[in-house]
Amino acid sequence: MDAILSSLDVTYFLLVTLGTVIGILFGAIPGMTATMAVAVCLPMTYALDLNHGLALLLGLYVGGISGGLVPAILINIPGTPSSITTTFDGYPMTKNGEPEKALKLGIASSLFGGLFSAAVLFYFAPTLADWAIKFSYVEKFLIILFALTVIASLCKSLLVGIFSGVLGMWVSLFGVYNMSTGGNGELRIVPEFLSPWLENGFSLLPLLIGLFGLSVIFEEAQKGVHDEHAESVKLAARKRFQWSVFKGQVTNLVRSSSIGTFIGMLPGVGGSAASVLAYSQAKNFSKENDKFGTGHPPGVIASESSNNGLTGGALIPLLSLGIPGDSTTAVLIGAFTLQGIQVGPLFIGENQTTWDVMMIGLVAANLVMFLVMWFAIRHIAKVITVPKYLLYPGIMMMCVVGAYAINSGIMFDVWTLLIFGLFGFVGAKLGLEIAPFIIGFILGPSAEVYFVKSLESFGTLSIFFTKSPIAVFLWVLIALSVGYSIYSHRKNKRLTPSGK
Amino acid sequence: MKKIAFGMCLAVSTVAASFTAAAADSPLPGNVRIVIGSTSTGGDTYQVSAIVADALSKKLDINAKVDAVGPTAALQAIAKSTDGSTIMLFHDQSYVGNLYGVRGFPDIFKEYKIGPTVAINPGDAFLVPAKSPYKTVDDILKAAGEGKRIRVAIQPGGTSALGYTALKNAVAVRFPGKEGNVVAVNTGSQADKNQLLFDGNADVINGSVQGNEQYTRLPADDQKAMRFVWITARQQTLQQANPEGMGQTSREQLLTYATPAASVTLDGKKNWAFDKEFFLIYNADIKPEVVAALDKALAEIYADGSIKTTLKKSFFIPNFMPAKDAQGYLKAKADETKVLIDKIK
Repeated sequence: MDAILSSLDVTYFLLVTLGTVIGILFGAIPGMTATMAVAVCLPMTYALDLNHGLALLLGLYVGGISGGLVPAILINIPGTPSSITTTFDGYPMTKNGEPEKALKLGIASSLFGGLFSAAVLFYFAPTLADWAIKFSYVEKFLIILFALTVIASLCKSLLVGIFSGVLGMWVSLFGVYNMSTGGNGELRIVPEFLSPWLENGFSLLPLLIGLFGLSVIFEEAQKGVHDEHAESVKLAARKRFQWSVFKGQVTNLVRSSSIGTFIGMLPGVGGSAASVLAYSQAKNFSKENDKFGTGHPPGVIASESSNNGLTGGALIPLLSLGIPGDSTTAVLIGAFTLQGIQVGPLFIGENQTTWDVMMIGLVAANLVMFLVMWFAIRHIAKVITVPKYLLYPGIMMMCVVGAYAINSGIMFDVWTLLIFGLFGFVGAKLGLEIAPFIIGFILGPSAEVYFVKSLESFGTLSIFFTKSPIAVFLWVLIALSVGYSIYSHRKNKRLTPSGK
Repeated sequence: MKKIAFGMCLAVSTVAASFTAAAADSPLPGNVRIVIGSTSTGGDTYQVSAIVADALSKKLDINAKVDAVGPTAALQAIAKSTDGSTIMLFHDQSYVGNLYGVRGFPDIFKEYKIGPTVAINPGDAFLVPAKSPYKTVDDILKAAGEGKRIRVAIQPGGTSALGYTALKNAVAVRFPGKEGNVVAVNTGSQADKNQLLFDGNADVINGSVQGNEQYTRLPADDQKAMRFVWITARQQTLQQANPEGMGQTSREQLLTYATPAASVTLDGKKNWAFDKEFFLIYNADIKPEVVAALDKALAEIYADGSIKTTLKKSFFIPNFMPAKDAQGYLKAKADETKVLIDKIK
């Protein structure tokens, strides 16, 4: 106990706060991510002791994941890939004049998700890590497939949605089949003369920002700049935030946070899958599922509680197995490595003080995140009152800078941004569905790796159905998800005038 | 307003002048980016690079920053820098990749300039499940010789592939025609390799003393429990590690998994062993004064000794060799490695 208390000095909490604030800024700037924030600040921890270093990094992690909701809600650009689904209802709420409500909803949900996952981490880490290793390539592929079923529930037209999703998956496979994931190192799809630019395919974040951010700006540019007052969104009259918005949402909060924590603890599945799955399940279980995508608060709750639920989840395999659960914790492991500390299945037992101090840091980072964002939000929300002719050039500049910075100065990433900005603009006019395209692009590489590796390991397609009871259970979930989406589509078609 | 503008200009000029002055003392720029051939910040390459960058920053009064960009991006980055503002730190994979014909790995001895060596990681290891019928690497080789299929999880084109090739070659030497029984399971991260072992989809995995030592201390009935069967480092290298070894596995215990106790023959007469060495790589046209300055600085840093303590604390073996010696030494090592790879093609 004395050892814990001696680590918890003022510097410790200042570092948590500093990390959280910097993390929020990184998360809020499109193109900058929590992973980048942790990577940039990692060398600083070399000069600190382990506990102080971890305080800074945990703050950056929680802040970075949480900050992504700000641009997602205010300007329809997900700050991080795991806040894509926040745009689905968060941005419509902003357009309806409720940005402050949407932001506060997101922040409170993030806090719940973060604390939920921290509790799960604290009480069940070793047990869950043992369970997580029962998920082999086969089960991980089925989870990805389950996440892909969200396409069916998100799209307006089932056929176009599936086409868009498959197109996204195809585009994600451009470039070399990476040997660092067990691939053969060969170039696919891309002609040899384009290999200097597309050797590693299209980067996710520039593509994401292009499709979400730039395409909207092109759309506005096509309309032309009109009267300043007509062009800026009005904030709704200041109203006290009503906590009653969470009434009836306890199940949604717990389910989404659990999904985030669960996906987080499966190495290699990725944070985007967590929010996508949580959002689709919130929609499927809702009695008002037709309201999702129109500015429905449960959509924001599902997305934000799940992506913050990821934080504690991704730390489970890191601290119980020495295996990072996501890209950010993969950087976080560097803090231990730099201090020469082994992280593996015996870490918690052999480093009890560090473990306890980390848990306190994680909870503190979530609380600091909540306080900082909650009280700054009214001012941040005013961004949308800036006239579009001033706001959009600023956003465009941030997008370009972010895209250029994401891979330490690759100019092709800026071209990717522009190409997919145009693609999003033209694609929408052609009826292409952008959300399924993005989901296909994000989940495509994991689906490929796990599918191919499953076949390489077991040599038969039947293994996907016979591997384990978990695999059978996942097939049941996939069937239910697809079946329910088809049922909803048919029901909605009957109810809409065109369907009559 | 004019006064404020004048003040700002003055401040900027002063800061700029101070940076120029810092750079003028040394042929190296004030900011040095050390790109590494790994995208991981949790791996051995980042760890060694951070230690070296920290020492160089203090010694030369520069700002050296490590950037984990991966092999292809790192080689592309140094291809643009002749003034030493971007240099690369990586290990033997930089030429092993080329020997295996992996895309994105050019012949570094022809297209780049080899810098000094800085450290060895003696921890490259092969492991089996604790309940495996194979207790030693010899059991594995014999099993393959008897016709049993041995699945080895590796990352293709890397130093782990070299260990796999050596195992296959040893079977070919001891049991001609049976080497086909040793098969590679190509995978990526350490997590994936571990998972293959947990699932029973690999009989042997490549790992490391640092990353897997705790798994070897788990109770044998734990699904995650593993056992070392082979450490690829040379005996004389491993003997330089701290006596306490890593975790709760002492250096003496580790030596029982390395040659000659664990024998993987190269040609029936001598054993194959391989030290994973870290070294700097420069642009082919880098200024000679930059090479000399880095050699001199590192020689002084290693002579001072504190870096050796830091490296050994993290289970690395300090191994400084100036650029002019390193070029010939690593080329000879690459040529020897090529012989092994060609034998098993």
